[in-house]
Amino acid sequence: MASHASKAFLSLGRIHVSGVGLQKSLSRATYATGVSTHTGGGNKGRPDRGGQRQGFLKKNRRTSGEPRTDKMKVDQDWTSVYPTATPFRPSTVPLPVRMGYPTKGGVPPGKKGNLELIKIPNFLHLTPVAIRKHCEALKSFCTAWPSALGTDAQCDEHFPVKVESTDYMSAAPSLRNPSARVVHLRVKLSSLNLDDHARKKMLNLVRDRYCKDTDILTITAERCPLRKQNHEYAMYLLTVLYHESWKTEAWEAEKTVADMEEYSWEESPSQKNILSMLVRMKVAGEGEDEEVREQLLGRKEVQEYKNSVTRLRNEGESESTILQYKEAVKKVLNL
Amino acid sequence: MALQRLSFRLRQTVTHVRSLHTSSCGQQQAAEAVESEPEPLSVFRTRENDPACHSEQHMGQYYTLPSTHIRTLFPHGLPGRYQQQLKTFNEACMMVRKPSLEVISYLKKTDFSKPSLRYLFYGLNGTGKTMSLCHTVHYCYTQGWLVLHVPDAHIWMKNCKELMPSSYNDTRFDQPLQASEWLRNFRITNEPFLSKIKTKQRYVWTKRESTEEGSLLGQLVDQGISRVKSSSDVVGAVLKELRLQSGQPESDFRLAVAVDGVNGLWGRSTIKKKDKSPVESDELTLVYNLKKLLTKDWTGGAIITTLSQTGSLYTSKFDYLPQELLGERGFDSMDPFLPVSVPNYSEKEFESCYLYWMDRQWLQHPQSRTEEGKKEIIFLCNRNPSMMDRICASL
Repeated sequence: MASHASKAFLSLGRIHVSGVGLQKSLSRATYATGVSTHTGGGNKGRPDRGGQRQGFLKKNRRTSGEPRTDKMKVDQDWTSVYPTATPFRPSTVPLPVRMGYPTKGGVPPGKKGNLELIKIPNFLHLTPVAIRKHCEALKSFCTAWPSALGTDAQCDEHFPVKVESTDYMSAAPSLRNPSARVVHLRVKLSSLNLDDHARKKMLNLVRDRYCKDTDILTITAERCPLRKQNHEYAMYLLTVLYHESWKTEAWEAEKTVADMEEYSWEESPSQKNILSMLVRMKVAGEGEDEEVREQLLGRKEVQEYKNSVTRLRNEGESESTILQYKEAVKKVLNL
Repeated sequence: MALQRLSFRLRQTVTHVRSLHTSSCGQQQAAEAVESEPEPLSVFRTRENDPACHSEQHMGQYYTLPSTHIRTLFPHGLPGRYQQQLKTFNEACMMVRKPSLEVISYLKKTDFSKPSLRYLFYGLNGTGKTMSLCHTVHYCYTQGWLVLHVPDAHIWMKNCKELMPSSYNDTRFDQPLQASEWLRNFRITNEPFLSKIKTKQRYVWTKRESTEEGSLLGQLVDQGISRVKSSSDVVGAVLKELRLQSGQPESDFRLAVAVDGVNGLWGRSTIKKKDKSPVESDELTLVYNLKKLLTKDWTGGAIITTLSQTGSLYTSKFDYLPQELLGERGFDSMDPFLPVSVPNYSEKEFESCYLYWMDRQWLQHPQSRTEEGKKEIIFLCNRNPSMMDRICASL
């Protein structure tokens, strides 16, 4: 029995290492018998050693006092508690923070010894007070803001082109972020020197990059790997667009009514209709065709009619535009 | 509810049977009384049955159309639900509303030596555009105008059972059934004019058949009705004759062109050719000629049209404004026209309609006669005439 037991002891490590699943119940049974037989005598070294270690731990254990948060004053200077970015320390943060997966029917674990809170980055060093202090310290190195740029309007006037890009910071192995290369260039179209033709051509070229409500053209460059390259590309695009829109190509003469950006009453079917109708109604006096035409077009009612039709076409149809059209028709046809 | 109503009707008929004799006597007496002294006038009715005399003070009141007018003027022009109501109430009452009054006032002021103007009723679904058109047309009819009424232009653009290539112009297509039906109704409406107007041109239908210059318009129309094959071209000829002769010094008639659902003429059709390609609207003889009548300048009359989303093809349910429904082309060809908005019932008009239906025993549900019931009806239909009709049909 003993030999068997000792054999079992010798092979204890092997069993654990090599074959945990191999005849589990059997090996466990032998182990248990071994322990129970040897506690009485013979193998005395092991319990002693255990006892020694226990005593050593007891001697060196320091009783942890109450956490530092309890001793903190309400009006303490927080910026000196957390002067820089540091992982979360439960004993220095006087907040009842909880984080992690809640126990069943319970709440998330508290802050003490909570690994989840240490993993995540925190902004405890970036309180408004700390930032204010920081700015205060930096102020002596700054120059005054130019008085000519006092308002946003003045800024827009002197610096019409605005370039926007984003820097990313994160607690990750790499500092690089692929989105940091993207450059947005914004410019108010009214600040560019464009005539009517150039403006319309520009709108055709940029399509949906132009916002009608704010009159802002946005060029986004993201095709190059570096921000600098993207910035240069955006500037290049703006230059090319500007010069391209000032050019008048030969094919632009072929523009038809259907291609027009906005409705033009001159030479439209509407003008033709109303003129022929008025000529038949003999509103104007007798004379040459051209003369009558000029005379009719100069009339106040016809001008009003023209405005109403143009508004109806350009602004889209609504009760108010229809009503305006109706009034204009009534006046023109003298009802 | 249906049961209740049935029992109510049964009771009525029973009492009617029992007192048949006396009631008829009573009716006679009542009729005599009407002739001798005016009956106590209801708020919602006007005794002014001539649309020419309608003015602002009659607004929102009902006037009665003589049944002969209904038969001759509207053989096909009234909306289906209104025709049902005619039968149920056994009288033709129409409300005098602002849009039609407005157009009638313009018509009264028109100088007929000048080009005829185009009026266009527009409004949300079921606000009474067609009824406004009918009211205006009735005015024209009582004034002795020649009424050229197209009750629904949309039906010429769809569901064509027989489509034939035109014999006159082989790029066009004839719709003989629709054309002959329209001619028949035209003949009923304009009986007196058929023998007055003479054609100005010679029309050759086939090798053997032709209509000589100077023959009566009635002969032309009869030709179209008896020879269905040429009916579409006859419609074209009739429209052309009327267009050319109207406003001329020797002719003594005024021409009222009334087209319901005019936006159909510029829309897409669902009619297919033999090779399954859709037929363009200009390829249909009827539509082509009607468009010509609407857009060409002629004098001595008026063009009264309505837009209609109901029955139109390829349009959104919520479109109702002229340009949306007419489209670019339609707008350009109709322009300049006078848009007249047809709104929902006003408070007064609703009240009048409510009282009229109460008077006709149309509203029989006890709750509908209470103030609460009235409020609920207003809430449900938002004073939309057609919606109100549908909701009150079950009350």
